[in-house]
Amino acid sequence: MAAGAALGGEEQQLLTQRLKAAVHYTVGCLCQEVEEDKDVQFSKQSIAAIAEITFGQCEIFAKDLEMFARHAKRTTVNTEDVKLLARRSNSLLKYITQKSEELASSNMEQKEKKKKKSSAAKGGRTPGEQEAAVTENEDSSMA
Amino acid sequence: QRRPCEPQMPRSLIKEIFRHFVKMPVTRDAFKIVEKCSERYFKQVSDDLEAYARHAGRKTVEVADLEILMRRQGLVTDKMPLNVLIENYLPLEYRKILIPVAVSGNKVIPSK
Repeated sequence: MAAGAALGGEEQQLLTQRLKAAVHYTVGCLCQEVEEDKDVQFSKQSIAAIAEITFGQCEIFAKDLEMFARHAKRTTVNTEDVKLLARRSNSLLKYITQKSEELASSNMEQKEKKKKKSSAAKGGRTPGEQEAAVTENEDSSMA
Repeated sequence: QRRPCEPQMPRSLIKEIFRHFVKMPVTRDAFKIVEKCSERYFKQVSDDLEAYARHAGRKTVEVADLEILMRRQGLVTDKMPLNVLIENYLPLEYRKILIPVAVSGNKVIPSK
């Protein structure tokens, strides 16, 4: 957000183009997977259309997530907001919840490793790292 | 004949509102479908409002939750704030309740 505000119009356009190209590339890869899976062909235009739709949908998602986070009096978007975004479709909600649980468990594992490391190398922390660790712990208590 | 059912919007009111907005003749079957739709709509909306209120850590639905709901429905946008919708679609007595109005003598109605 802040970076976007600081950029000029031209730079903004460049960034948009780069993002769109990245989305287009990824959509192309995903479509290729589907092609192999389902034995169908995607025309170039259809891939471009899907990329464009994805880009537009991201704008909507971003606005909604921002709104949900602000609604809960937060400035940081977290998994709860994402779940709320996916509430409308049951299967999607199930999938997202499952994924978030997987992420949470993997995060916990990483934290365990970090804790072992940090206990081994105690006192060698910069204040910035300390802050990061504190916020991480807060996040884990939120989830 | 008529079995007692759960509370709902009066059918006549639904009919009246629908007729006001469509501005063309509507068959009876279509009205039945509209009634069903409004029932479903209320179910869905109450579900959503509950989720939004809980998301903000409340057990009471407030105006903020409703605004979020209408924003997600695409009714409230940056160009169309909630107050404008209230001004356009609600009768005066409700408007007075919802939108604070400054009057002479340094008073605001309704006083919060």
